[in-house]
Amino acid sequence: MKELFFYDPMCSVGNDFLGKRSSSTPGELLAEMDFYGIDKALVQYNNLAGAGAVYANKWIADFISSDTSDRLRGVWCLLPEQCGELPDDLFSAMSEKKICALTLDPFDHRWVAGKYSIGKIMAEAAERKIPVLMNYYNRKWEELYRFVETFPDNRLFIHDTTRHGTDRLVRPLLEYFPNVYYMLTAYWVPEGIRDLAVLYGADRLLYASCFPTYNHGSMMFALKNSGLDMASIAKIAGVNMQNLLEESWGK
Amino acid sequence: MSIWEDKNTLAGKFWSNTVVEDCPIYDMHGHMGSLNTIYFKRDSASEMVAHMRRAGVKRLVFSHHHALFDANLRNAEVHKICLGYPEELRMYVAVNPHYPSHIKEDLRLFDSWRPYAVGLKILADYHRVKVSDRKYEYALSFANERRLPVLFHTWGGSSQSGYEELRKVAERYPDLIIFAGHSIYGDWDNAVKLVKESPGKVYLELTAIPGVNGVIEQLVENAGSESLLLGSDLPWFDEFQVIGGVLSSKISDEDKRNIFYRNVEKLFGKNW
Ligand SMILES: [Zn+2]
Repeated sequence: MKELFFYDPMCSVGNDFLGKRSSSTPGELLAEMDFYGIDKALVQYNNLAGAGAVYANKWIADFISSDTSDRLRGVWCLLPEQCGELPDDLFSAMSEKKICALTLDPFDHRWVAGKYSIGKIMAEAAERKIPVLMNYYNRKWEELYRFVETFPDNRLFIHDTTRHGTDRLVRPLLEYFPNVYYMLTAYWVPEGIRDLAVLYGADRLLYASCFPTYNHGSMMFALKNSGLDMASIAKIAGVNMQNLLEESWGK
Repeated sequence: MSIWEDKNTLAGKFWSNTVVEDCPIYDMHGHMGSLNTIYFKRDSASEMVAHMRRAGVKRLVFSHHHALFDANLRNAEVHKICLGYPEELRMYVAVNPHYPSHIKEDLRLFDSWRPYAVGLKILADYHRVKVSDRKYEYALSFANERRLPVLFHTWGGSSQSGYEELRKVAERYPDLIIFAGHSIYGDWDNAVKLVKESPGKVYLELTAIPGVNGVIEQLVENAGSESLLLGSDLPWFDEFQVIGGVLSSKISDEDKRNIFYRNVEKLFGKNW
């Protein structure tokens, strides 16, 4: 029997316009996941920055609807509430199309993310405990800190792909904001996963690949050998993620 | 069945055993000590060696951060650190081009630091001196005469440590063994070209690459696994992440063994 259940919340699909390729169909992505033993994944559009949220959200909805395995769920990208670019009833549209999480890229999409632009959506997302992936705030720590301060009630998944030890930046957020979760993508600090789990609890950490930038396998191996007890490893690998989604969307 | 579940493969063996007896691991790019821009919790010799032992890393060749980024810790002190861990630690003598007298003094002691001292380390981008600059001439001639490896920090697009600069060094010093740290990161085609232009002289060192999707595959296919070396930048990167990155790449087990230990043993023998 498979030893650990893995849920990858940070997977991007489709080819971006600057030549960065990823899986174009659910079948291709599932083959990649099966090669490493990833059970389920949240997927977002790989060319979200380039093609924009309106196009990306449709692309992801189509991608998910063509998945017959039921192992994939989608991520939609936010835009300001005032412009009518998102479905009127965003959350029921998400539910209908198996879109389970949100992301936002105000930098490439040229808007200011805050209470005035997405306050109502974020309030409802907080109430529904819907995860918001902060991957476009990667390396933008000052902007990320401001966002977390503005929306402390939302479940925010943060990460950093510089591979530099980010503890100086991540730990203050983990200490003061209980709704912040840290995706491990490129967290490569020696023995660091165990340290973070001991300090803030294994419940706050999530295995994540950041595919196609990174493969799925290296962080699986690092987590397995983190030195934590098996129950904590299992939580970080996939149990936490599964539970978080069940809290927002049911079984 | 995933790669980790297939017990006939190296990945499956490492997944269930962590340490695989017939597959030792040599880490050819490490450091030690604290650094300004990055958090390290375990940067002392004892903590690093404890981490290596847990991961089954048999030996690490390192240059000390304080010898590279601060001119006050000298290589003689680093040699003393190695003496405390004769099995696990070997050193690159750190070369700082801004202190020519240090270079001469240290290289005069090089032979007395063997077998711990195995080569030199050059960090051109950080020291802001091109690798072809005459400020390195004394050190590179020394290494060239003795056929010593020099680990260069290299990076794609860098005017100090990119392909063009390394090519000049390879031409000027025909007996030098070049370890291209980070494999001229991002400039993969030129990294391959450098290997092909100087057969048997250039090794691509993999620090920061394991786990990056598809790169090891590309380097193995185009440069050959015989020219690749494992590295972690420890205490920067977790050894398990690095080992996991090689194990999870889509290359053969023979290629993985070349990267983990065979290439090093071909260069240095089994006892070095
Ligand atoms: Zn280094």
